[in-house]
Amino acid sequence: MPTEYLLLMGACVVITLPLEFLLGARVYRRPRRLLLAVLPLLVIFYVWDAVAIARGHWDYSPAHTTGWVLPASVPVEEVVFFVVIPLCGLLTFEAVGRTRARIARGSNPPSLPSPSVPAPETESRPRNSGGNLPFRGRERPGSVTDARNRDVDA
Amino acid sequence: MPEYTLATLVAVAVVVAVELLWARTGIFRTAQYWVTMAIVFFFQVLVDGWLTKLSEPIVRYAPAQFAGIRFPFDIPIEDFGFGFALVTGTIITWQLAGRKEAA
Repeated sequence: MPTEYLLLMGACVVITLPLEFLLGARVYRRPRRLLLAVLPLLVIFYVWDAVAIARGHWDYSPAHTTGWVLPASVPVEEVVFFVVIPLCGLLTFEAVGRTRARIARGSNPPSLPSPSVPAPETESRPRNSGGNLPFRGRERPGSVTDARNRDVDA
Repeated sequence: MPEYTLATLVAVAVVVAVELLWARTGIFRTAQYWVTMAIVFFFQVLVDGWLTKLSEPIVRYAPAQFAGIRFPFDIPIEDFGFGFALVTGTIITWQLAGRKEAA
């Protein structure tokens, strides 16, 4: 099936959607930051791919790809790959971060109602979720947690 | 050394060097990063396994250009360096972009 590679990428997008919408990853909702994160790697890996194709490191099965090819013989599927896989990685990274912060606070995911406890934790989910926690364990100021605290949503 | 093997080792070294010497986001000292990479690794085995399965490969590797070890399934082991560099590189730029936006 010529769309098989694209469909596999589509499956990756679909399966990671809950990370954004149930676990509060907030990756799609920061499009500018997402673009700044993905673009440099896309350029670098495009070049790597082009060189690898030119030097015969690998090629693509015509039966499983669309045949749509970009400059330097790079299949369009590869560009999709270099966007989708980093996106999945970021969704995972943010979902793990939010979940760890949530566990530390003993609260529920933003999408799920607090079970029995009625009011106090129901304030709309803060954007800087790990926000005012003191830094945990080995995470020191200047590290990931700190960067996230200072994060401004695009 | 086969070229893909060499390219992968260089890519991993470059990403680690960029983080430690320049970007300094601190991700290597966080559980958040390592848990992420464990999850990514698990799903890479599934997706990459599908892309490279020898019975009906989507991506076809020239035997002379990689070390020849395919594990698990039919995945050339170099792919894990490729994936590490791609995902780690993206997390670093994501952290840098977050820093910039806050400035």
